[in-house]
Amino acid sequence: MPKVTIDGKITEVEEGITILEAAKCLGIIIPHFCYHPALTIAGNCRMCSVEVEGQAKPVISCREPVKDGMVVKTNSPMAVSVRKSVLEFILINHPIDCPVCDQSGECKLQDYYFSHSLEPSRLGDEKVHKMKAVQIGPNVMLDAERCVECTRCVRFCQEITKTNELTIKERSDHSEISIYNDRELKNPYSLCAVDLCPVGALTSSDFRFKKRVWFLTSTPSVCNHCATACNIFIDHNDGIVYRYRPRENNDVNGPWMCDEGRLSYNRINAPDRALFPLALKDGDLARVSWDEALLKVSDLMGSVNSDEIAVILSARATLEESEAFAQFFRDKVKTPNIYWSGLDSDPKFADKILRDADRNPNVKGVASITDKRLDEKPAARVYIILDGVTDIELMQIVSSRPKAIVLVASHYDSHQHYPEIVLPKATFAEQPGTFINSGGMKQGFKKAIEPLGESLSGVDIAVRLAKLFPPFVREG
Amino acid sequence: MGFIFTKERRLEAEDILKRYPAKRAALLPVLWLVQDQEGYVSDDAVKFVAEFLEITPADVWGVVTFYTMFGRKQIGRHHIQVCTNLCCRLKGADWLLEYLRKKLGVNAGETTPDGKFHLSTVECLGSCGTAPMMQIDNDYHENLNVEKVDRVLEDLK
Amino acid sequence: MKKILTKNFEIPESHALKVARANGAYASLDKLFKMKPEDVTAEVKKSGLRGRGGAGFPTGTKWGFIPKNTDKPVYLVVNSDESEPGTFKDRAILEKDPHLLIEGIIIAAYAIGSKTVYVYFRGEYYRQWERFFKALREAEEAGLAGKDINIYTHRGAGAYICGEETALLNSIEGYRGLPRIRPPFPAVAGLFGCPTIVNNVETLASLPFIINEGAAAYAAIGTEKSKGTKLISVCGHVNKPGVYEIELGLPIAKFLAEYAGGTLEERALKAVIPGGSSVPVMTASEALKTCLSYEGCECAGTMLGSGGMIVIDESACVVRCLADIAKFYHHESCGQCTPCREGCGWIKKICDRIEAGSGRDGDPELLLSIADNMMGKTICVFADALAMPVRSFVTKFREDFEKHIRSGKCPSPL
Repeated sequence: MPKVTIDGKITEVEEGITILEAAKCLGIIIPHFCYHPALTIAGNCRMCSVEVEGQAKPVISCREPVKDGMVVKTNSPMAVSVRKSVLEFILINHPIDCPVCDQSGECKLQDYYFSHSLEPSRLGDEKVHKMKAVQIGPNVMLDAERCVECTRCVRFCQEITKTNELTIKERSDHSEISIYNDRELKNPYSLCAVDLCPVGALTSSDFRFKKRVWFLTSTPSVCNHCATACNIFIDHNDGIVYRYRPRENNDVNGPWMCDEGRLSYNRINAPDRALFPLALKDGDLARVSWDEALLKVSDLMGSVNSDEIAVILSARATLEESEAFAQFFRDKVKTPNIYWSGLDSDPKFADKILRDADRNPNVKGVASITDKRLDEKPAARVYIILDGVTDIELMQIVSSRPKAIVLVASHYDSHQHYPEIVLPKATFAEQPGTFINSGGMKQGFKKAIEPLGESLSGVDIAVRLAKLFPPFVREG
Repeated sequence: MGFIFTKERRLEAEDILKRYPAKRAALLPVLWLVQDQEGYVSDDAVKFVAEFLEITPADVWGVVTFYTMFGRKQIGRHHIQVCTNLCCRLKGADWLLEYLRKKLGVNAGETTPDGKFHLSTVECLGSCGTAPMMQIDNDYHENLNVEKVDRVLEDLK
Repeated sequence: MKKILTKNFEIPESHALKVARANGAYASLDKLFKMKPEDVTAEVKKSGLRGRGGAGFPTGTKWGFIPKNTDKPVYLVVNSDESEPGTFKDRAILEKDPHLLIEGIIIAAYAIGSKTVYVYFRGEYYRQWERFFKALREAEEAGLAGKDINIYTHRGAGAYICGEETALLNSIEGYRGLPRIRPPFPAVAGLFGCPTIVNNVETLASLPFIINEGAAAYAAIGTEKSKGTKLISVCGHVNKPGVYEIELGLPIAKFLAEYAGGTLEERALKAVIPGGSSVPVMTASEALKTCLSYEGCECAGTMLGSGGMIVIDESACVVRCLADIAKFYHHESCGQCTPCREGCGWIKKICDRIEAGSGRDGDPELLLSIADNMMGKTICVFADALAMPVRSFVTKFREDFEKHIRSGKCPSPL
């Protein structure tokens, strides 16, 4: 195992590891643009140049393998000078768009300039101008002037999605990132190219001009759009979620997530969000108070035998929500009819990268509570449904002419006339919780924002129901 | 409309594929065949070549725009390329470009209205010892003076 | 002086197989195929032949880098991309003795165990490609070439950077002509990931003599570190521009007087670039003390390079010369790495501004600083190829630059 000294610190590393990776092990982060651990090495930005004792020229640390006895200096006058010169070269033609650029605040060029340069400009000539603000895909905007030509986006499309939509066209300082002509950057992971872009050349058209990133709080969480349950950050400010970003987890999603999952943050504040309790009054669902709604539910449950009540847990709800409802109905209400449901399988959604045909984040979780799916001819008279059921299951329930259906969900389609009562449930982003993903991995997440409107987490709803149905005592 | 090779060129293209262990390596020779046929590399041709070689149009476009000799639009029948590099200029070639601009009535990068000539400036053509010179289509015309230039242009159909 | 490369140049129809054969073409093949491939490499090593493209790396040593027991195909790639300003010597071989090149290709391919050869032509050399192609067909029909090897031609399309050997490989493979990071070197993983040797046209054309007459005969010509003969293509302010074969070690002063016919109208010499636009310029007095050899030029702080000599006399404006050079490199930069991509454009803008009369006081220092920040800091030596002219022109002709800036116009007439 070769021994290397970096900035005076000695470490033993694996054979073949690069200087940059070895430095990471020592907690030394060497600045870089084009390097990315999930992509092949390009070696074109030169920002990671360091001094290696015995070598007259600077060496790029992203590519250079460590040799036994190597002595590396990442902050010698040579290394510092190269870094400054690289930043100067980039800034020769880079437009100072910071006041209008979304990347501001999370821009590597900004960060590196402030920590490694601060040199005033020596350019006394006109900059090269290229196209700006071009929509190159449904989700991605390109500003070619800001591009530092690190080619991360090009390599991403070649190596990860294997869709090869991007290229560099022309050469010299006229070279530009480009899609071809009438094509689009629209592979299902196109926004990962935006993540990869170290500057504001590729930006999200969804997030464009919405919020300055320094106002955002990032809460670690887990995506609920399919059973992969990619790790994410929920970026929010003042109770509003502005975007999801992937959170790196090499056991689940690496540094990626799909565009659909990423943009599903829009569901939190969607028009079909159930925000207030609703109850049927004179043939129409009208807004009622929580007290009134819960009382109605309790009355309904009291009006039938416990074996005439059915509760359908959700593969979309958090594990804790399904557990709370299961515990209440099994132990206190003592109904034997505990089922689970979720969204139908969607084979068209699946791919070989991250997307799973199972569109529910917690099938493995809910199935550990009950493995029962609804009977073909269900016989219950009162149904408590978490989130929703499949179309077929809904038909089976409705055609059995039950006494009443109570829907406990975060979203409610007002064209659906089957529920008698709707209790507004918080989304996963508005409560702490756990999902068990398709690989059996239990992943917990924190609460990002307060529940919108008057919605409450399923756990809180179960507690309130229990209070009206003594002697329910919550465990844990 | 779409682009397809003539029968002969199709056969030639298939032959070219045999020279390389990877299809993509046929890209430059195939692009030359396209330019032979059409005079430039059109949008349809880019898509055709991409399909023919099982790569994407972006891959083809990145290569087409990297090199100076692939045309991206139709130009005049005869392409006059004048070297404006150091060595030609040391030999006093400054007059040549000016003379051609006046004679043809176009600037570099433009085609004459009758569609006969397209004028370009290029870098070193490897003719430094026989400057002033120009390349027209596939031929070098060297050791030029005004009379020679007039004669060469007149002889071209 | 023994003519090795140009021996058939003056013979009419020297490119035709019949004429070439009558004048010794392919005579080395009999002897060649009786030798063991490794012995051919040893002979070329002993001869001291160095790469004639510009880098001057010992050819036999380069061949020796091919792994001994590889099960991958070995490729020979012929670099006929000659695009460096001032350089037009490979063109002479292609036009006047293509069979000499083909013979050299066969020798090299045999030595390194290559069954497939790609000859890469710059796109603009159409007639030269045509002539070579015809000669190749003739040779194949006569059973001289193509018995155990396939020789294919591959035309580039206008990119000087494709003369850089790894950019050339990318160009053949159908990618943008971007140089690759090394290691791995082409001899280990080159074309299509296989062991590859890239050799210049002139290098290969030197091989038939080495096989015919032996390494010792070749090594007897030239100097201690620069064996054999070299083609010098001279242009600029000389009376007899053209391609000349010289014995390495010839003093520049002698070359200018006896081959190039002296300067035009006997004007005073101002500067000489000995080896193509990429190497440092010499002042007249430096040049007149220097010999045309690898070590001779190195001692003088420049390089023999491709042997494309550019002669500049007192009528020239050196600021304009540097601006022309900067324009070339700005046009030809592949754009891959930051210092070169941005530096070439920046240097060109400054040179243009000085030349146009809007130079500023700090401009010479700025040019030197940019050149320093480019030199040795990129994937390939293209950046060095502009940095060295900038450094040498600005340093050695500082007064000219200052005069330009101070007066706002060119002090020289040209």
